Amino acid sequence: MKTFSPRDQVDFVVVGSGAAGGVMARQLSRAGFTVVVLEQGPYLTEKDFRHDELAVGAMAALTNDHRDQPNTYRKTAADTAVTKPTIAYGRVVGGGTTHFTGNYWRFHEIDFIERSKRGGVPGAEMADWPITYAELEPYYTQVEWEIGVSGLAGAGPFDPPRSKPYPLPPLPIKSTGVLLERAAKKMGWTAFPAPTAIISAPYRGRSPCVQCGFCEGYGCEVRAKSSTLVTMIPEAVATGRCEIRPNSYVAKVETNTRGRVTGVRYFDRDKREQFQAAKAVILSANGAETPRLLLLSASSRFPQGLANASGLVGKHLMFNGFAMGLGLFPGQINGYKGNVVSRIVQDLYVLDPKLGLYGGGGFDFRADLGPIAFGLAGLPPDAPRWGPQFKKMMGDYFSRTLMAMCHTTSLPVASNSISLDPELKDAWGLPAIRVTFREHPNDLKLYRYFLDRAHELLDAAGAVKRWEFPLTEESPDLQPHLLGTCRMGHDPKTSVVNADHRAHDVPNLFIVDGSSFVTGGRGQPTMTIQALAFRAADRITGLARQGPL
Amino acid sequence: MTALIFPTDATPGAREAQVARFIDRALGSFAADQRALFREGLAQLRRKTFSALAERDQVAILEALDRARSPFFEAVRTATIMAMFSHPKHGGNDGKAGWRLIDFQDRGVWQAPFGDYDRPGSSK
Repeated sequence: MKTFSPRDQVDFVVVGSGAAGGVMARQLSRAGFTVVVLEQGPYLTEKDFRHDELAVGAMAALTNDHRDQPNTYRKTAADTAVTKPTIAYGRVVGGGTTHFTGNYWRFHEIDFIERSKRGGVPGAEMADWPITYAELEPYYTQVEWEIGVSGLAGAGPFDPPRSKPYPLPPLPIKSTGVLLERAAKKMGWTAFPAPTAIISAPYRGRSPCVQCGFCEGYGCEVRAKSSTLVTMIPEAVATGRCEIRPNSYVAKVETNTRGRVTGVRYFDRDKREQFQAAKAVILSANGAETPRLLLLSASSRFPQGLANASGLVGKHLMFNGFAMGLGLFPGQINGYKGNVVSRIVQDLYVLDPKLGLYGGGGFDFRADLGPIAFGLAGLPPDAPRWGPQFKKMMGDYFSRTLMAMCHTTSLPVASNSISLDPELKDAWGLPAIRVTFREHPNDLKLYRYFLDRAHELLDAAGAVKRWEFPLTEESPDLQPHLLGTCRMGHDPKTSVVNADHRAHDVPNLFIVDGSSFVTGGRGQPTMTIQALAFRAADRITGLARQGPL
Repeated sequence: MTALIFPTDATPGAREAQVARFIDRALGSFAADQRALFREGLAQLRRKTFSALAERDQVAILEALDRARSPFFEAVRTATIMAMFSHPKHGGNDGKAGWRLIDFQDRGVWQAPFGDYDRPGSSK
């Protein structure tokens, strides 16, 4: 791998090597630019990955570690923030794509224009995106073909238009998928093959999924999961113009007196401070760390934080709406075997406005609670939590239970935010993230509506007992979808970046990750993060070829 | 205490699965921040001469702790479940006792049919 001295001024520093950062690195280095990617976490490969629920859970082997990187949480600005693990993200080369499940839903047309189609909703800052589905469609297709996505074109009755089929056929159907098909049919709906970023057949030198079942939360041991770790990043490194620098914890984006970015200050693996000079900086650090870094980068010229003249950096935090019903079945489900999700339903993607609910969503059936997680949270609320009966129920329920997952709209609310905690510090001495978050009332009603439908699906599928995870308005817990905190838009007063992902206030600073989202879609954001990244790379390449950024 | 949380009956429980060994290792590594909680909780049980009591009385004490949402009890319960169902290399789940109970098998490869409902011709 080509390496650069921190003193070398490279064309681009990319902060983060995940869904977006990996794409930026590959596209910009292929376009001829020099790139240094700074990643907080280690550079692991398939040889390092294990079937080890304790390691990826309590030991945080692949994710941010709350012992070193705590965050605080409060419901509203009037409440006192308490230390509570709220944010979860991949902290390895490949970022979240290394440990994700790989649900690769495209957004639909409505997701970009819901404000103008449906109007506003009180208490939320709904806005149209500055780009449309049609503009992003070629990039969705590019994602599918460049990284390798399995699916079946035309199978979803509500699918948005596409210019090309999937490059790979769907992964095999599981018992969860068969039961969802059966239930959907009874409800007059359609269950169709889940688009998944795991290859079902040999693709570009990688061999296909062996159905070991350890996708969600784990690194793939056979490189079948289409993470940036095994797709974009090796291709970026192969250009000879890109260095991946792991164990690099970025503390500040530096600016000069002209208000331009000069590079980034970071701590290396020994916690020594380093500075990497760059002509331009791209933040792809996720919807929590990107706004935090901008706020940490305040200076006399940018007293509110970098790129924050609008005051909107960190605002409009969305986690994606989520609710979960569970059902016990007479036969073996064995959801732990094989790829996690094989069928999805999108018949309620856009709800009838007459229901009085804003937005919509989708469903899947899966059984993704590993033995530890199931032991801690999988049994019905009326089950004992320990003792002989608990033990007996673990034996009876584990392999026969599935989860009906609901993925729904979550509205952008200005007071839901990432900010800097005034007291708590991380292990590097930097102010910790403070999360302020309360569900919009519409979203809570929407979760209830979807959960009721999930119970109907479980009934229709033949569940002999069903229950649910409780819904409350103040329990965000280890949220992996981090969206909306540096929203895109044309107007510098109401957005942080423009449609080229360029910060309105800083010409050589770009922000490309979940923070760019204007609205949250319906669950599953990674496909759209990557489509945005491919598009952003095209835009930035075009701008950089015209002259200095 | 862990043997009451995950008892031995016709199948192995916390004792055979070496849950205590798991907890010792956990408190020496990733769960080091819970040492004080365990130390204080165990000291309180000792003051109640917990280990000398009849099982019925021990269960009553644990039930009372559970009802009172004791952080110590919750930590031991959580650790016991982690120990029963984590990879045996961490010290618990000895002989895969926990995994056998729930019919979980850790393998590198599976193929369809995965469960009863995706067998060809299954009408279950």
